[in-house]
Amino acid sequence: MSQAATATEAANTNGGVLHPLGEKFNPNTSKPQNLVGWLFGGTGLALFALMALVGLLMRFTQADTVGVSPEWFYRLMTLHASGMLAGALLSMMGGLWFVVRAVVPGLSLGRAIASWLAIVAGAVLIVVAVLIGGFAAGWTFLFPLPFDASGQWSTWAAVTFIIGMGLVGVGFMVYCIDVLKATTQAYGGLSGALGVKWLRGKDPTGPPPQVIAATAVTIQGVICSAVGMTIVMALLDHTIDGQVALDALWAKNLTYFFGHTIANLIIYLAAGMIYVLVPLYAGRQWKLSKPLAIGWLFTIVFVMTAYSHHLYMDFVQPGAPQMISLVASSAAAIPVAVVTIYTGMMLIWGSRFRWTLTSVLLYLGFAGWAIGGSGAVIDSLIPINFRLHNTLWVPAHFHNYLMMGVGMWMMALVSYMLERAAGRTASRRTTIWAPLLMVGGGYGFIFSWYISGALGIPRRWAVQPIGTENYSLVASIFAIVFLIGFFMLLLEFFSLARTALARRREAPPEPALASIAGASTEADLALGNAPEPLLRSPFGIAVTVGLAVIASFALLPPISEASEATIGFHHLAHAVQFFIGAMLAAALASTPAIARRITPRWTNIGLITVILLPAGMLLFMIPAIYTDIEDENFLHASYHFVVLILGFLLGLGASTLGRTAGWAVLISSVGMGLMFAAGVTGG
Amino acid sequence: MEVSFGSFQVAVLMAFLFVTMALVTIFVVVARQSSRNVAFETVTDTGYRLRRAWLAFLVLLLGSGVVLSLFFLPFPGDSKATATVNVSGGLFYWSMNPETIPVGSEVSFDVTSADVNHGLGIYDPDGVLMGSVQAMPGYHNQLDLTFDKPGTYMMACLEYCGFKHHDMMKEFEVTQ
Ligand code: HEM
Ligand SMILES: [Cu+2]
Repeated sequence: MSQAATATEAANTNGGVLHPLGEKFNPNTSKPQNLVGWLFGGTGLALFALMALVGLLMRFTQADTVGVSPEWFYRLMTLHASGMLAGALLSMMGGLWFVVRAVVPGLSLGRAIASWLAIVAGAVLIVVAVLIGGFAAGWTFLFPLPFDASGQWSTWAAVTFIIGMGLVGVGFMVYCIDVLKATTQAYGGLSGALGVKWLRGKDPTGPPPQVIAATAVTIQGVICSAVGMTIVMALLDHTIDGQVALDALWAKNLTYFFGHTIANLIIYLAAGMIYVLVPLYAGRQWKLSKPLAIGWLFTIVFVMTAYSHHLYMDFVQPGAPQMISLVASSAAAIPVAVVTIYTGMMLIWGSRFRWTLTSVLLYLGFAGWAIGGSGAVIDSLIPINFRLHNTLWVPAHFHNYLMMGVGMWMMALVSYMLERAAGRTASRRTTIWAPLLMVGGGYGFIFSWYISGALGIPRRWAVQPIGTENYSLVASIFAIVFLIGFFMLLLEFFSLARTALARRREAPPEPALASIAGASTEADLALGNAPEPLLRSPFGIAVTVGLAVIASFALLPPISEASEATIGFHHLAHAVQFFIGAMLAAALASTPAIARRITPRWTNIGLITVILLPAGMLLFMIPAIYTDIEDENFLHASYHFVVLILGFLLGLGASTLGRTAGWAVLISSVGMGLMFAAGVTGG
Repeated sequence: MEVSFGSFQVAVLMAFLFVTMALVTIFVVVARQSSRNVAFETVTDTGYRLRRAWLAFLVLLLGSGVVLSLFFLPFPGDSKATATVNVSGGLFYWSMNPETIPVGSEVSFDVTSADVNHGLGIYDPDGVLMGSVQAMPGYHNQLDLTFDKPGTYMMACLEYCGFKHHDMMKEFEVTQ
């Protein structure tokens, strides 16, 4: 049969929404997928719309055309950035979940909803902190600014904001643990789900690309949120006990490790979604390939080591992270340029690509990523950064890839779901005009920033240098053009939604969903997804117990007494106790007798444990709590024993999460204790 | 404060515009080719071959960017400084000692903060940003700069520090 003949046949069945050959790549959908898609994608887009208006108001303020005071400008700036990032994160988390769930049914709907709730609750606290509490330390909340407010906000506002950020981190953590657990369970462990087994010829089929992306992103997500929790808890400790002193350089490292990485991961979440959506319009499959699997391994390394470019102009930052970051920031671009975007272009080339609103948005997103990424790489070269650091070049490049890259993909996700549900494409007028206005307006808006960056205008200035207000004015007008296109798109979305609803009324009702919380574990039970024990062999168990024993030498009197000398060492001792407890539990839970009895029913409680306990441990490390009992031997010993128990419970919790996710949280939780010891003193 | 384009910054901007134009060209070409009907094997045959060249090109380009960077690092080396100037940032002021700098000196700025994080950006008499360094509480960053041009220079804050962040400026003179 000729390709053309197949084409018309298929076109009849899918109403021409997709490429004639694309339907067979369309992910199967289930009720949970649709729920998560609409919930995450819808919330994300709503935040985008609101925060875009806030952004416009900010740019007009800089143009000196509206009377927003600097006090309010900086509040809006804090709100805009936090809200946009939370929205983009949610949206792409949902998009990736949607496509991965089609092949990994072990993803838990209940836990996805829990993660949504945590992030939305965090966003609400952030709104309260800013609009009611007047908090304006920026979304990066660099210590000590949240506590040195120049009279602009009080401590409760700072605490509310920090807890809000913490909740965003918790939500992301829940998502990452669950996705990591499910993908590694479905594809033979970490090396299976990352395609390493396939690369080494030990797995004939290998995981599909979206699973590799999901695994790679979520393992980084666990680490990144653990770092986020550490800085959040340290800041809370400082609030509770003013004597807790944080090192400013340490705080900056942790804050940017968390903030940079989570913001950067958004676009990698999106990449996983793109692997599935682009084929629908190209009629060609996005296949697993060696460059793809290798590219993601490199991506993990480079994305996790690039954050230090935020500290280039801190000359006291040690040379090693600076040099690693210099290399990593450039190198991270290679997998993107050579694998993801390049393959995307090959799929599209000569494919009789089906241009609909969705696919136009998908395509534009590639351009936003490529151009914005180039702006980022240029700025990541240290001699250039010397003259561009914290100038408007910075918002230029990240709006370039967040607004014109991720933003397009946030719209594409919702557009895809709508076109699919409505069984028709968006109107031709919107398909042409909305993207055109957004591209014209968006790039005009962003280029005014690139130029202003070259002019040396600092970023985050409510009042622009004399004589440059016109850049802000022109940019504001461009932003309006962007927003006209965006609202045109929203109108089209409403119209598509109406068609979809009408269509649904005619269709037979879908079976209702059993309880959301139950849905998760039921899936696991049905799939027989009992968590694999943390340790595979008696040898592994012996080694782990051995490690715990060796670590406990550090608690013998001569060393532990010396550790009382400084707070840092004392915290280190706590981390060691925590570690011992965790290792003992990991070993115990891996013994066949116990491992057999661990069921997926315990996963939710395990998840709660591994999130609360490390946070609790850090909260517990406040000198105000333990200095009073320092001299009472019994109390003091019990205190240390409690830390050990916390570690033990953590180990038990981790053992309900399967091997990969379990070890990821174990290692990062112990890491939290170590990081804390490295930077928190005083008392 | 007045700002103006420095030749270095303009060169960077031009390089970026060039890259952008190249990328836009690629995206336009691919979009135009998208409607054709080419067998995927034909696309991948050429595509995979080109990809190797593309990888080599990128590694070379980015690699030389990184290597070149190493020769122009702004980090303090063995300082040949002829003068040391202590700078401290605070909400919302700069204090500086001494307050004037003789022309031609190689100055080593010792930069710190009295409270929150600030960023010291130095603008020359034309309003060109010469470079910046962070002012961090508890730490001293050393910034070496040479002042060949006499005139009025400007310090501005390049790290957000609160509601008068944009007002945190100070002029200083470089004199004959
Ligand atoms: C129409 C859309 C948008 C407009 C008009 C807008 C406007 C602005 C403006 C005026 C600033 C302040 C820049 C400065 O002077 O330093 C800003 C900062 C920022 N924006 Fe946007 N923006 C838009 C979209 C986005 C999107 C889609 C994201 C992320 C997904 C985003 C995230 C941020 C962040 C993280 C900052 C940094 C704030 C800071 O420096 O603390 N924006 N935006
Ligand atoms: Cu300042």
